[in-house]
Amino acid sequence: MTSRDLDAPLLTTSRRFSPRLPRLGLVPAWLVLIVVLAWAVGPTLFTGQSATTGLPGAQLQAPGLDHPLGTDELGRDLLARIIHGARHTLAGATVAVGVGLLAGSLIGLVAGAVGGRTDAIVMRAVDVLLAIPALLLSLSLIIILGFGPIQVALAVGVTSVATFARLIRSEVLTVRQADYVEAAFGSGGTFARVLWRHVLPNSVTSVLAFAAIQSGWAILQISTLGFLGYGAPPPTPEWGLMIAEGRNYMTTSWWLTLFPGLAVIAVVLAVNAVGRSMLRADA
Amino acid sequence: MTRTSLSLTRRTLLASLAVMALPARRSVALETGTPVQGGTLIYLEQQPHTQLYPPAGGFYPNSGVLNQITDKLTWQNPDTLEIEPWIAERWEVSDDLRQYTFHIRPGVTFSDGTPLDASAVAQNFDSFGLGNPDRNFRPSEVVNNYDRSEVLDPLTVRFHFKQPSPGFLQGTSVIGSGLVAPATLARSFDELGDATLVVGSGPFVAASQTTGTELILRVREDYAWGPKELPHQGRALLDEVRILIVLEDSVRIGALLSGQADVVRQIQAYDEPQISAAGFNLYAPPTRGINNSVVFRPDNPLVADVRVRRALLHGTDTAEIVATLFSGNYPRATSILSSQAQGYVDLSAKLAHDPELAASLLDEAGWALGPDGLRQKDGTALVLTAYESLPQPQNRAALQLIAQQWARLGVTLNVLPGDAGSATVDNLDPAKTPVSPAMVGRADPDVIKSQYYPANRNVLLQKGGVSQEVDSFVDDHLNGLLEGIASEIDPAKRLALVAEAQEYVVDQAYAIPIFEEPQVFASAPHVHDVAFEAVGRPSFYRTWKSA
Repeated sequence: MTSRDLDAPLLTTSRRFSPRLPRLGLVPAWLVLIVVLAWAVGPTLFTGQSATTGLPGAQLQAPGLDHPLGTDELGRDLLARIIHGARHTLAGATVAVGVGLLAGSLIGLVAGAVGGRTDAIVMRAVDVLLAIPALLLSLSLIIILGFGPIQVALAVGVTSVATFARLIRSEVLTVRQADYVEAAFGSGGTFARVLWRHVLPNSVTSVLAFAAIQSGWAILQISTLGFLGYGAPPPTPEWGLMIAEGRNYMTTSWWLTLFPGLAVIAVVLAVNAVGRSMLRADA
Repeated sequence: MTRTSLSLTRRTLLASLAVMALPARRSVALETGTPVQGGTLIYLEQQPHTQLYPPAGGFYPNSGVLNQITDKLTWQNPDTLEIEPWIAERWEVSDDLRQYTFHIRPGVTFSDGTPLDASAVAQNFDSFGLGNPDRNFRPSEVVNNYDRSEVLDPLTVRFHFKQPSPGFLQGTSVIGSGLVAPATLARSFDELGDATLVVGSGPFVAASQTTGTELILRVREDYAWGPKELPHQGRALLDEVRILIVLEDSVRIGALLSGQADVVRQIQAYDEPQISAAGFNLYAPPTRGINNSVVFRPDNPLVADVRVRRALLHGTDTAEIVATLFSGNYPRATSILSSQAQGYVDLSAKLAHDPELAASLLDEAGWALGPDGLRQKDGTALVLTAYESLPQPQNRAALQLIAQQWARLGVTLNVLPGDAGSATVDNLDPAKTPVSPAMVGRADPDVIKSQYYPANRNVLLQKGGVSQEVDSFVDDHLNGLLEGIASEIDPAKRLALVAEAQEYVVDQAYAIPIFEEPQVFASAPHVHDVAFEAVGRPSFYRTWKSA
């Protein structure tokens, strides 16, 4: 235990900076992420068409030259909507993971570091949170918070607090008993300062990798809630909402569900692949 | 009976075989057309029924059930809109329209065996006309100014009204006046979501219900009191109607086209071509009531100013909505009333799309264009919210198109999909929903009152209605007109009031009528004689399937 923790930083450092190329399978994953990130940052660079205002008369056109992915029931270009939608999806996932990461880390850190009764009480609360299905919990939160993209992101974030808290607590528990932490206490460091300087930095790496995986899950959750109509209100080009709206036209206009669905799948797979590779690198 | 025990797959297989064999036989079947008795009709509904207390039956999924299991005193001929005999063989109306006497057809029984006599009819209308707070029954919107009933003899009943009630005779023919057994009236409103507890005298009886999924209606063998004018008499031709709830449009259509269903409700305009192309039947009976509209809640300060409402009315391009989203079955609205309704006046001149007028009206009302292209006044932006209405065709898309059109004026309309729960609560709060989609079908001018009067549907959310959230908005002039429509004796004067009410609602821009809403159904080629009552509710009494 102790020796592993002491060696770990060295090992990961050496591995992370090795000149080894990323594995081939990761190339498409990174490509997808870079493209989607670029869409989110500058959607207008990639499409000249409006995502929210349609062209009357051009509704429900099949993929073709003018509209590479076709148009929806209001004549809005589907590709433009997917590109503009990337921002909502990524921003939502970032907020959700951010909430989970920050709140979860705080809870896990305090529980792990203080230990004793505090630990027992906090972790039982976390167990209760884990016992509630994530979707049910986020739906209940949305009913309390109201509908909207930010509310959805917060609700998804809250449901991941428990998993983050558990993970960081276990990390903190191992680090807490490390010799250098004892030494830091011994040389007169205050509790808060030791936590901040020594415990947190050494517990956080695997949590960050977990956050990457978690963001794939968050994208799925946000799309699910958007699909159910709790997220961004129409005409926001949110991917989940687009899938839901296209569903009615499935028999005649398959592209309306297929392409937003593929976008969600590609991004979630890419985030997962990248996240797992980071987790492997950190382990 | 053995038919029901067939496994689903086997039945599906048989049905699909039948469909495969069709192309060769279709023309023959249509021409020969001798009705065949027997068989199960599979009817796919979009939504489960909610409540089967007849006056609450206006919701189409409810009325699709009620229309099969209940009879009415009178029958409104859907072609002529004339009122014809049904359970009442004949009737007399006093000159002041305050007394209606009905002579009940002898020998009619409810499905629980109790007689449908004058006393049963009296109990029904006492409940419909006055409501029953103990059982949570609200008064029916089609029975106005009701006072009391009087049973003259076992088959004669007389109704007395406090004020003239010109709409009552037609009111006895609508879905909300379906007659139920006294045992059903003795139950409370909350129990009547269970169709098997609703005992009627109709050609079918609710045999079993799996709430939210399936409802099985079985034929009444001893049924012998259909409307006299119908070509078919006696028991219904089908043995059974299975109503299955299939929420997804695409699944309903797929089931129909693949032969797993016989009749489906709610075909969207964009799906119509593939139904007709496959040789299936499309029906688009009109609903003849208040057109599919967007209404304002003037209690909300944002839309309290008539100039703002008029601006939004003129900023709405209904022709574009109809052309983009709908088909020839959805004519553009030219008044708040359907052009096939009694008393309709053409107000298309007042409903013209005129973005310049709209912009100047907004300027005049003090809503100036801000730097971001949005209208502002005293630091508040003109941001409105509406919930989509699930039962209305393509309502979400229509509202989004309206939002696009209003955005050109600098007005934001947020369209919330939401769940039925929040939508129901928020739709009663003018502060949360300044705008709402609204429509209602009924083939009598009383429908205007039903829609706008505070004690009825109250779509404008006036004070004094169901909503507790309204601060002050009441339009006495409108309510006066509506009360007049509900009580004017002279038919000509009544229609004049109807015309005045239409103009008033449009002048005040309380509503933006968009299109005349049909109910679109489709059926497989082997299904014949699906009938519709005056406002588009299906009746399977005469329906038969060629094997």
